[in-house]
Amino acid sequence: MGDTVEVAERVEAAPPGRPSRSILRRVGDEFLRRREASVLIVAVGLGVYFASAHPAFLTQPNLVNISRATAPTAIVAAGMVLVMVSGEIDLSVGAVYALAPFNMHYLVDYYSVPVIPAILLALLISAAIGFANGFITWVFKVPSFVTTLGTLNLVIGIVLVTSHAYPAPIPEQAAGRIQNWLGAADWSQLLWCVLIVGFFHLVLTSTRWGLHTVAVGGNLLGATEAGIRAGRIKIGNFMVVATLGGFAGIMDAFRINTIDPNLGGGTSIMFAAVSAAVIGGTALAGGSGTVIGAFLGALVLAELQNGMNLIGISANPYFLILGAAILISMIANVYLSRLRRAGRT
Amino acid sequence: MSKVDPAVEQAVDTLGLNPITRRRLLKGTGLASATLAASALLAACGNDNPSSGSAAAAGAGDFPSTPKWKFVFINHVTTNPFFTPTQYGAQDACALLNCEFQFIGSKEAIVAEMVNATNTAISGKADGIAVAVVDKAAFRGPVDQALDAGIPVVSYNADGAPDDPGTNRLAYIGQGLFESGRQLGLRALDSGLDSGEVVAFIATPGALNIQPRIDGAEQAIKDSGKSLKFTAVGTNADVVKGLSIIDAYAQGHPNLAGMLAVDAGSTQSVGQTVAKYSMRDKGLKVAGGFDLVPETLAAINGGSLDYTIDQQPYLQGFLPVLYLYLYKLSGGLLFPSETNTGLLFVTKDNVKPYLDTKTRFEGSSTEQQVVPRSGAIAHA
Repeated sequence: MGDTVEVAERVEAAPPGRPSRSILRRVGDEFLRRREASVLIVAVGLGVYFASAHPAFLTQPNLVNISRATAPTAIVAAGMVLVMVSGEIDLSVGAVYALAPFNMHYLVDYYSVPVIPAILLALLISAAIGFANGFITWVFKVPSFVTTLGTLNLVIGIVLVTSHAYPAPIPEQAAGRIQNWLGAADWSQLLWCVLIVGFFHLVLTSTRWGLHTVAVGGNLLGATEAGIRAGRIKIGNFMVVATLGGFAGIMDAFRINTIDPNLGGGTSIMFAAVSAAVIGGTALAGGSGTVIGAFLGALVLAELQNGMNLIGISANPYFLILGAAILISMIANVYLSRLRRAGRT
Repeated sequence: MSKVDPAVEQAVDTLGLNPITRRRLLKGTGLASATLAASALLAACGNDNPSSGSAAAAGAGDFPSTPKWKFVFINHVTTNPFFTPTQYGAQDACALLNCEFQFIGSKEAIVAEMVNATNTAISGKADGIAVAVVDKAAFRGPVDQALDAGIPVVSYNADGAPDDPGTNRLAYIGQGLFESGRQLGLRALDSGLDSGEVVAFIATPGALNIQPRIDGAEQAIKDSGKSLKFTAVGTNADVVKGLSIIDAYAQGHPNLAGMLAVDAGSTQSVGQTVAKYSMRDKGLKVAGGFDLVPETLAAINGGSLDYTIDQQPYLQGFLPVLYLYLYKLSGGLLFPSETNTGLLFVTKDNVKPYLDTKTRFEGSSTEQQVVPRSGAIAHA
């Protein structure tokens, strides 16, 4: 990430007329042409600002903090990008995020399932909720906003009723190695996040599934007439986001060492993921988006939260400043994208 | 720097920024400087704190000169009006002792966000941390890490489960939660509750700042041996949603003998609901709850609530700062002490002064003032 920026900066610094200019320029153009470039510049800019504002920002423990605030949002956002690109939205993912660790806990502690199979089963149940979302949306033609609003409340209800709205401890069998690998160790969440984001970036950009997802979201009629099975694409993407939501929920539970029925009130992680996706350049209307952009969007949100906590802004003015900062960063983002497009022609 | 208007500088001081940020802000560089300046001015406008702008050359009072220590409060509902007096308390203590505080955490009781904020305070090298321990497992690691890093930590307002404080904090400053719930129940029994249905409302079941209270109330009712049917009902952290849940419950259960609530929002909603359906005339023997938000006080005055329990949130901000300061000042010799911030019943008999005076101590005014009192002090 840092290297790319350096390249871009060197392009500007290179004196005109040198033979190397054209190569560097081409590299620079290539960089700026990427949809993620503008949000990357915003993310780096924020990093530079906070690093100069507080000496602790770039210390290792604080980078761990930032990575932990980024990872769950980015993981959910990776799935959300697929759903949004295919022209739908999933409001229920935050509830699945809360349910999955409880399912793991029930399976391990009440049904004596070993931890790893229990986690896989919990993810399977998450996927089933995603399937239901997709099925209802596609077969019964209920707009996904409404479908997932329904499942959001339904699943929150399941969480609250089955847990008696009481937090549960992490199953003892999971403590130690599994817990560390799945979220508790310093960099484990970031590691999973990078793997997942990388994988789904490839899925969206380089596979038939990704191509079809873009086609279905961009022009549903055209895509169906071209023989793409749109229902399968949409349902599949709903399953992806729900599974990722469940996985992020399990990792967050491991990290904070408790299973909390109030994980995000069911909406906060979903809202963060949608914001990250949109900040990263995914169109709300469908048809275009980028998983890496969503990761950077999540990073921007995490930097803002962490940086402002660090430089000592209390909760009440925080929202005022956060709002203004989002607006300013995104105006910069849109402006940079315009430059990018102008550069292409 | 010299071109900066002193009023602006003073406003910026209220933000409590570190020197680099402050300098960049005053120079007008940096991405967020305009918004920061705007918010500082806003904060300064709405804030009459006389000492917030004064720079400290010597130490506070007779104390030796100290660095401007920064204490971080980790809270579960940062924007909830209940904690307004807590923030005033911390602010006043900081003004007194020439230190600063920051109030962060989660807006809607999301434990992960609180853990993030705690970790940020640790990596930002805060001089002391006060944390509301609303989960008995999640804060153990972060608090140990802070202690390992030499940062003193106290808990305030919430302190894990009744049988397990949940962290290795140095001390707890707040109400004895289980005991206060038991008192809530005992008082209801004393007020003539002897048979029928009793409901107790709780905004966020399982959250350890209020769950022990409802457990305590249930215990008291059970121990009484009377033929009472106790039901606990979850409402919502959002007061408006909570009100409609309580309203619906009251409609569905017209024969309630007692209505209790264990958090500020539910208590005010119980008061409103009792008044709305004139439940006093329909066999409701007792209604009571917690905290002193204006709606609750009005309901007590109007007779729809019998009593509410004050836990003095101002002290939950003031005392942690004091304790953390003294710990730092004395090199750890003055150890923070466990403090019960109180269990004061406010009833129709003593509600008057709460209604008549607007003070920082209840969060109803920002003004610094001396509140006069006269007459005998009530005692048993």
